This record gives sequence, C-alpha cells and structure tokens, in this order.
Amino acid sequence: MITDLPAERPNAPLLIELTDIYKIYKMGDEEVRALDGVSLQVRTGEFVAIMGPSGSGKSTLMHLLGCLDAPTRGSYRLNGQEIAKMEDKELAAVRNRFIGFVFQSYNLLPSFSALDNVELPMIYGGVRNRRKKAQIALERVGLSNRMDHKPTELSGGQQQRVAIARAIATEPSVLMGDEPTGNVATHQGEEIMQIFQELNDQGISVVLVTHEPDIARHARRLVQVQDGKILADQPISERILASEWLARPENAVSTGPLQL
Amino acid sequence: MSPLDNFRFSLRALADNKMRASLTMLGIIIGVAAVVIAVSVGQGASANITNSISQLGSNLLTVIPGNSRVGPGQAGAGAPQTLVPSDADAILERCAATVSNVCPQVRGSIIAKSGSKTWRTTLTGATPAFAAVNNYTLGRGRLLKENDETARSRVVCIGVTVAKNLFGGADAHCIGQEISINRVRFQVVGLLGSKGASAFGQDQDDVVVMPLSTAMNRVLNQRNVSFISVQCRAENKIALAQEQIISLLRHRHHLQPPFPLDDDFTIISQTQILGVIQTIGGVVTLLLAGIAAISLTVGGVGIMNIMLVSVTERTREIGIRKALGATESNIRWQFLIESVLLSLFGGIGGIAIGFGISILAGRLSGWPIAPSVMSAVLAVGVSASIGIFFGFWPAGKAARLHPIEALRRE
Repeated sequence: MITDLPAERPNAPLLIELTDIYKIYKMGDEEVRALDGVSLQVRTGEFVAIMGPSGSGKSTLMHLLGCLDAPTRGSYRLNGQEIAKMEDKELAAVRNRFIGFVFQSYNLLPSFSALDNVELPMIYGGVRNRRKKAQIALERVGLSNRMDHKPTELSGGQQQRVAIARAIATEPSVLMGDEPTGNVATHQGEEIMQIFQELNDQGISVVLVTHEPDIARHARRLVQVQDGKILADQPISERILASEWLARPENAVSTGPLQL
Repeated sequence: MSPLDNFRFSLRALADNKMRASLTMLGIIIGVAAVVIAVSVGQGASANITNSISQLGSNLLTVIPGNSRVGPGQAGAGAPQTLVPSDADAILERCAATVSNVCPQVRGSIIAKSGSKTWRTTLTGATPAFAAVNNYTLGRGRLLKENDETARSRVVCIGVTVAKNLFGGADAHCIGQEISINRVRFQVVGLLGSKGASAFGQDQDDVVVMPLSTAMNRVLNQRNVSFISVQCRAENKIALAQEQIISLLRHRHHLQPPFPLDDDFTIISQTQILGVIQTIGGVVTLLLAGIAAISLTVGGVGIMNIMLVSVTERTREIGIRKALGATESNIRWQFLIESVLLSLFGGIGGIAIGFGISILAGRLSGWPIAPSVMSAVLAVGVSASIGIFFGFWPAGKAARLHPIEALRRE
C-alpha cells in the first residue's frame, strides 16, 4: 500500500533540511564520527522512520533533529530557521514550540498527574487555556478517564500515551518518537503506532527512530542509517496500518476465558 | 513562562519532599531563632541593668576614696581612708546650687543575731538622706531621723531578707524587736520596702541600715566613710556638680598638682556607669548575635548541601524539563526559588520560635525583654540572602546540565 510518497508531494513546504551534518565525539585521542556528513530533507505531513542498528548514529540524528543537541558542523534548518548555531534560550524555545518529543522511557514527571505532565511544556511556552488544551490532548490519545492518575498508576502503554498527549498538546510542527514502542508489549506498541498514524493522517509530521523493521513499516518513508551515514532512503511499499492489525481477531486482547 | 509558574514548581518540589525540606529548614530555623533570641535577650538584659541603675537613685554621683587612675578605687576594707563625714557636709553646703542631697555612708560586713538566729549581712551606716538618695521606700515602722544621727541611737532599719532570716517574716512584729550586731544591741525601728536584686545580682533587701555616727563609733570604729552619695539637682547639673566637688575636695584635702594623678578620691557618675554597662551590653549582644550568625551560616550550608543532592537526584527531571522547552534560566530560577523558599520558611519559623522564647524568657526572668523586630527583619533578610547565596551554585549546576546527558541518567 503506497500513499503520499515524498516524491509525490513535492509541493508541501520543507519542514526539515539537514545539509552535510557532522557530529564528532572525541574519545581520548580517537575521533568518533557519530554522524558523518548526513543530508536529509523532510516535508510537512510526512511520516519518516529512521532505522539502523545500535551505534549507527540514529539516536544522535534524532537528538539533533529534536534540537536536544547541536551538530559539530553542518546546517540544520527547521521551518526555514537555522538551528545549528542557536543559543540555549532559542533552542529551548524551538523545542517547546516546534517539536513534540516522545521518548522510549516515557520521561514523565513521577509526582505529576497525567494532566499536569501534559500541561508542563505549555507552562514553559506560556500557553493560555492550557488545562483545557491538556484535557483535549489526553482525550485524543484515549485517556480522558485517567487524567488525574500519576504515572505509577498507569501501564506502560498508557504512560506512553500521556507522553504523546504531552508532545501534541503544544501543536508542534513535528512529532518525534525515539523508540516509542521500545518499552511496551506488542499489542500496546501497536496501539501507540495507531495513534501516530492517526495523528499523521490529521496532518501532523512524524519522525520515528526505531531498530524494529515491523515498527518502521508503520511509516510512509524509511531512512536507513549505518556508521553515521544514510544508507538508503525509500518509500515504504507494504505499510502496516495499526488499525487493521488491531482489528484482526488473532490480535484481539482476550476478554473472556482462554479457549483451549 | 510566568514567575508564578516557577514559584509553583518550587513549592511543589518542596511539598514532594516534606521531610527533607523541613529538616533542611531546621538549620535556618535554629539559626534565625538564635539570632532573634540573642538580640532580644541581650537588649532586654541591657535595658534591665539600665533600669536598675536608674533605680539606684536619679542624678547620682558617688565619691569614693582613692584614685582610680592609680589603683582601683575601692569602697571597703583596705581602701584608702581619705573621705570623712565633714567632706559630705561641705559638699552640701558649698555646692548647694547643684547638689540637693548628700549621703555619706560606711559599709561593713557584720553578723546580726536575734535570739538563736544569726545572719551574715552588710551593714550600711548612713545619714537620714539614705532612703531618698538610694530610692529605698519604707515598708513598716519609720526611717532613720536626724536625731538618731546626733544621738548615735542604737536603732536600725532592716531589709526584707534580713527580716525573714532573723524573725521568720517581713511582718509588723519585726518592729520594736531587738537584734545584736557585734555584741551591741539595736532596736529595729523600720522595715524597708522590697527592692529585689540589683543589676549586678546583689540582693538589695539583704541590708541593715543604721545612723552613720552609730555605725562609725559603736560598730565599725572607723573615722572615714566608705563613700559619699551625692544627689544633683538636675541631670544637666551633674557635670558642673562633679567639677565643683572635685575642686572643693582638692582644696579640703590640701592636694597638690599634677591632677588628676594626685587626687585621693574618685567621682563615679551614673552616666559613666550606664555608658560602660551599655557598651558591655552592646558587645555581649553583638557576640551572641555573632555566634547565632555562625549557626545561620551553617544552616545555609545545609541548604546548599541539600540543593546539590536534590539537583543530582533530579537530573532526569531537569533533562525532561529541558527537552520540553525549559531554558537554562527557567531551571536556574526554579532551584533558586526553591532554596530561597527553604530559607525563607525557615526564617519565618525561626522568628516565630525566637519571639516565643524571647517572650517566655521575659516572663520568667522579669526582665523587660521585647522580641526585637529589627533582628527579625534582619534575620529574614539574611536568611533570604542565604537562600540566594547558597542556592546559586546548585541552581547553576542544574541549569547547565546538558539535556541529553541529563535524560540518560537514571
């Protein structure tokens, strides 16, 4: 199933534009090139999966894309703005306004309720009506009945959905997931991917980092990274739709007694 | 983000760690309470001493034998014997414009007996001006009169403490009783009103007072007086009176210059004593406050310590906040406000406890201790500054954390 290949929507505005990006760490005398001249373009509305084995540089790439780290050299333009040379204050504002980050380990504040966690980035952004917006975001991920629960009172899948609500509440330009299904069971992972797909269908751009091919296949475009370089960049031909996967009877969560 | 939001974050972080927060505050609470108590009690004690000295009699000068610049001026055994009763008469006569009253006095240690009871006390031989000059009131009976003086009468007035120890009570039945002092029999004619302890802790009711002539000739057998109390007409005449007395006594004692090196007497004025005592009181208060300030500083270091631990412990939280868009200054303020709140709450708690203890100490000691508002304001100011000062480093440490590294920390 092939839809909206990047080549097929050349008119969408450029969201991300990486040009010749290097990230070099110094380990003693040795230079480690985590990113070795990466160039990449992502247009608004795309769903890109970045895949690669561990140590390939995909996490470093994700941190750069998420403005959590700065490249050693090269240019990164997000929404036409040059990011690579920004000061802390500007970077924080970019993270807050344009990027919604979903981490593998959820990264919720343990003493905050779901609602408080979702509100947090909006507090830093000085957003008005944030309580209402946080409620709407939690409703969008299907957690309207869990708003006052603390993270410890939620399952892993539910915590990740709170994290997604937190990421989308600020209406970012791009939603970034760093192995968002890495800590949850398959079924819950599929539910999370369903939310990502729904959000993408609604027009939100998504960039996903994963090492699992089955998760990557939920995206529309696959970028493969190895040794700090882009190995391949291609549209996904057989895309998995989480809603279809979840609808299959063999994948249903058993509600009655086990049939033997 | 608004400062109020950061304030809420800080409050919340403290509320999440109530036990730790209150223990950290305890350092500041104790420090501030110590400052408040030290200053309040110090000021109260000073005021108390000042009061007591004023009670000794107003506008009072004391002429003692000996030269305090050469050796210590002493009023007692072994002191130079240079003052005589006629010096006192001369002062009253020649300095009448400035001096309203004089009271030459002798002091001696005696054992008083009544029946089987004995009591070691201080004998004061004094002219009838004694009560007026020393602010003694009459409890019962009568005070000493001029004709007791001329007749060298064997009569005494006693203080409440002496009455209790010799007669078992400070009642009317003491009057007319006989006591013997150094084997001489005396009749108790008056009971002095109670004055309590002096500024120096002496029991001012532990006294036996008799006519000066009686004491000098019948009991102590001495020709010199221990000191002369001089009451001036007004406060602004004290300095003049002092000068007049000095020149009068130099003349009467046939003293030769150089002065004041060769004076054989010393004049102590109440203002001098007050000045010295207030200086001492100020130094003591400062010393106490200084020690208290050290404990306040220790409390501040405690805050810094806890804030550093807190930053390390909440590294991940800092990473999350930064990833979500918190700037360095957002994080810095959050931690700074947290440490300022810790010290401010500690300060307020310390003031409450300090005031409480000061008031209680005032009640128990009977001193005029008023909780020092100035010290409270100062203590709160200092504790807030401590919060900023000792919070700055940990807050900066938190603010500078790299988001990726912070998130990686478990």
